[in-house]
Amino acid sequence: MSVRRAFGEWIAPGGALDAERLAELERLLVEGCPPTPGPVVDVHAHLGRDADGHALDAADLVADMDAHGVDRAVCFPANEPGDGDAAFAASNAAVLGAAQDHPGRIVPFCRVDPARGAAEAMERAAAAGARGLKLHPVAQGFAPDSSECVACVRDATRRGWPVLFHAGYGARALAAPFAALLDAAPGCRIILAHAARGDARAVWDVARGRGDVWWDTSLASLADVAMLPPSRVLFGADRPYGEHATARQLVALAAAVAGWDDAQVAGVMGGNALALLGETP
Amino acid sequence: MTRWEAVRLVAALGAVEMCLVRDDPVAGPLLAQARRAAAGTAVAPLLDEAAAISRATSGDGDAGARAARKVVQALVRAATQAAQAVALAAP
Repeated sequence: MSVRRAFGEWIAPGGALDAERLAELERLLVEGCPPTPGPVVDVHAHLGRDADGHALDAADLVADMDAHGVDRAVCFPANEPGDGDAAFAASNAAVLGAAQDHPGRIVPFCRVDPARGAAEAMERAAAAGARGLKLHPVAQGFAPDSSECVACVRDATRRGWPVLFHAGYGARALAAPFAALLDAAPGCRIILAHAARGDARAVWDVARGRGDVWWDTSLASLADVAMLPPSRVLFGADRPYGEHATARQLVALAAAVAGWDDAQVAGVMGGNALALLGETP
Repeated sequence: MTRWEAVRLVAALGAVEMCLVRDDPVAGPLLAQARRAAAGTAVAPLLDEAAAISRATSGDGDAGARAARKVVQALVRAATQAAQAVALAAP
């Protein structure tokens, strides 16, 4: 049986989905996006199988990246803490292994639960080559300004890691907790996923002039992304929850609405992320 | 698409998006409404396809239904973003 990929999904013939039609719609969508002037870095991708059924392996992610001209992707586990110590040991190891299997394509971040063996998990991940930390306050049920979370962010900062936070669907009010976190963890570098969707205006008000804060575009709202300074915006797709075609469309539309020039678009699509990660193009 | 049409669509599709995320069965009827609101605009093909897929799938949670739901989400997202861009454009 022949299958093809469209909008990030494998589509078998004979079902409710018309693979050819969907591939054509995806092609038209992407053709409407101007070419990216520079390397492309997707800062938000999950590998593994989430408790909610979403799943993605490294081979499929790299195929998506190739299809959409994405050079590198920052990857971390799905919500897959494991049955033992629930410290993401196996899923972090899988992401770190994927980075070794795809050198230069996957930048591994580790994921921890601040309340469950986080320090040990981060130490193991660092020894295996992790480059940053992903935290999900909703899935792991903690507040960004809790003492456990602050300790994780301080630990990551000591290691020189940026910390990517889920800051979108399901999140409680974000502004005050992130303001408190930024004050409690001097020198931290924070990426707010989904451009802090749902609380973007309030977060922008507290983050402006306070700490080193970045916003990723994954599954974000166009109005939120377009109001941000492009020097602080990072391209992301949130595979497998999102996909690359609409992620690229979002940045192209934000650039048009906000009047970003080519250099600013290049920064959003990859240059800003490379600088944040300390990498050369 | 006029800005009036865009604002109407953004509102309609926002409700669709949230129902799709929550796997709420009302997503289908709301998507059908949004599709009618988009008729004749540039995003109509995206919503025509999304509505057709939504009608044809059972939502029973198998792999095909999950893929269909994700594709519908992507099509709705593409239409939403395009409508938002029109709504945000300078008059």
